[in-house]
Amino acid sequence: MRWIDLLRMSSGSLKRRKLRTFLTVLGVVIGTASIVVMISLGLGMQQSMYREVEQSGGMTSITVTGKLEGGNMYYSSDGSSEQEEPDKYITDDAIKQFQQLEHVKSANPVLDVSAVALKGKYIGYLQLEGMTPEALKERNIELIPDGRLPNPDSTDLELLFGNGVLTSFYEKATDKGYWETGEVPDIDLQNDQMFLILDSDNYFQNQSADTGATEEGNSDSPQTPARPPKKYVVKGCGVVAGDIDTYTANYYYVYCDINKLEDTLKKEFRGRVIPGQPTTKSGKPYRQFVYTSATVQAENLEDVDELSAAIRNMGFQVTTNAEYMDSMKKQFAMIQALLGGIGAVSLFVAAIGIANTMMMSIYERTKEIGVIKVLGCSLKNIKQMFLLEAAFIGLIGGIVGNILSFGMSFIINLLTGGGSAVELDGNLSYIPPWLVLASMAFAVFVGMAAGYFPALRAMRLSPLAAIRNE
Amino acid sequence: MNKVIEVGNLYKLYRVGDSIVRALAGVDFEIYEGEFCAIVGTSGSGKSTLLNMLAGLEKPTKGEVVIAGQHMEKLNEDGLVKFRRENVGFIFQSFHLIGTMNALENVALPLSFRGEAKNIRLQKADEMLDLVNLKKHKKHLPSQMSGGQQQRVGVARALVADPRIIFADEPTGNLDSHTSEEVMRLMQRIVRERKKTLVMVTHDDHLATYADRIFHIMDGKIVKIENNHKEREEKEHETV
Repeated sequence: MRWIDLLRMSSGSLKRRKLRTFLTVLGVVIGTASIVVMISLGLGMQQSMYREVEQSGGMTSITVTGKLEGGNMYYSSDGSSEQEEPDKYITDDAIKQFQQLEHVKSANPVLDVSAVALKGKYIGYLQLEGMTPEALKERNIELIPDGRLPNPDSTDLELLFGNGVLTSFYEKATDKGYWETGEVPDIDLQNDQMFLILDSDNYFQNQSADTGATEEGNSDSPQTPARPPKKYVVKGCGVVAGDIDTYTANYYYVYCDINKLEDTLKKEFRGRVIPGQPTTKSGKPYRQFVYTSATVQAENLEDVDELSAAIRNMGFQVTTNAEYMDSMKKQFAMIQALLGGIGAVSLFVAAIGIANTMMMSIYERTKEIGVIKVLGCSLKNIKQMFLLEAAFIGLIGGIVGNILSFGMSFIINLLTGGGSAVELDGNLSYIPPWLVLASMAFAVFVGMAAGYFPALRAMRLSPLAAIRNE
Repeated sequence: MNKVIEVGNLYKLYRVGDSIVRALAGVDFEIYEGEFCAIVGTSGSGKSTLLNMLAGLEKPTKGEVVIAGQHMEKLNEDGLVKFRRENVGFIFQSFHLIGTMNALENVALPLSFRGEAKNIRLQKADEMLDLVNLKKHKKHLPSQMSGGQQQRVGVARALVADPRIIFADEPTGNLDSHTSEEVMRLMQRIVRERKKTLVMVTHDDHLATYADRIFHIMDGKIVKIENNHKEREEKEHETV
């Protein structure tokens, strides 16, 4: 028998029982759609993570942290207990050493400082990240029009704001911010000037001392600092592209030039210890300025492992995006397997539906099958005919299921506002072409698997059934 | 004349509960090419079992069935289907047309099992329907045709693949006597024109007289083989 005739006969018998075919296909539609949507959620998360890694220097980037003073909270809790406690500080000398290593494209220091910003009735708690101009350029940050990167030669500190920095601003009077009120603070980050206070501990002590004095008339605070912290006038030079609802890798950060930040800090804390900087045993400031971390770019992806081992041997703690990706990949594989498994259950139920429909169809057509057997239709052709019928159910279900998944994916992304509701950069649900093809192939396979035993049964039916007269 | 069908010492036993029923108890006969044979017997005489065995739908318990030099009892099911596809046409008592196909498509169906292209199939089917005088009903569904018309489609379907042998199982069993005569005359004419071998099973002695030879079967044995051929020729001579 020709293939075209087999196809014609199979599709013809499906058309004959429209309602039953529709109901069976519906089962496959739901099964396919749930698998595709579930996996698309996992893929969406994975994709946004890839983009995040891309923005933080790509796979060749290595983050080096040294011994940190005090506020080591971030790193002590992130499960890097396998690594030895680093015993070196990241200083200018260390950066130079990194730069001299083989396969290093660049090595740049990073300095993290928390600061307080004052603007009108608002107070903002900022995370300043000082970087070299080259490193900032490498991050490929997308800016709004008219924005530029901080100029290292300007006299004042210039700030580049993340698109979500405004959420860190609160009204002084009510202590409420964007998340509580839903109103975006009325600040033009790009053009407005604001006060920046680097010595935030000092600032808050002064504040509480003031209020304490006025409210209770009791000013015997023993450690009142002699001098209030200096307020620096700063200007924004750019804002990261994207509105407040679009989560990006640079959402909360404020970038500035590292040298300007270092100079300002030194000026502010003249003669004292800068917070976060290590001290000698006698409590004096350390001789050299210490950075929070360093970003080392390897020349090639293959060099990353070797390079990170070399830096680790020098006594530093190393995290690479590649290692991070590997561990995340394992996690995502698990999430996807779990979500896909939930979807697979419904497809399994649909498979039982297909098997049932096929059995019914064969019982109904016992006579017809007998007749075509007597007329010389080969056993192989009969089997193929019924397998094709089941495969058709799978294919139609797969196609419609995919269309439905795209619709559901669109709605999910619409409701979660492009992923920002769950702190994701990009869409929560992502359906790549391979998923479409794979899910359709799988639906066809499930249809054929479910139709296999009914088809065998049809093949083995006795032709005598046709001769028997009713 | 060539022997097309040879049956030797054929037995078929059925187990019904604890007892064993002999449907066929040692049957021997030959059928020659171009013959129109009728197998006549009452119900339960074993005539249908004999036909099933000739068409390879049932396996004999003992004995041999040789059709066109091929031992039917030695073929497996695939081989039997292939043999039927290439050598055998079948006419059923209750027509067994496919309800979703029109007359033309029904007639063309056996050709599709042989892998012939659609336009050739339909062209051959068209000729066959002309042969059985169904020119006006080619696009009709079985449900839109009378019993006699349906059986004529059945005859066309049995002939379309140009088989050497045609088996007919009570072909007029579901038709009234007038239509039965019509269909019998049609079959007789075609068999003679096309030089086909036709083996028909019937319980009606009168319809059997259309055949050249009549096998009378009773309790699983052939009791009489009547040669109708000469009688008919004599009759023709008389009329002339």
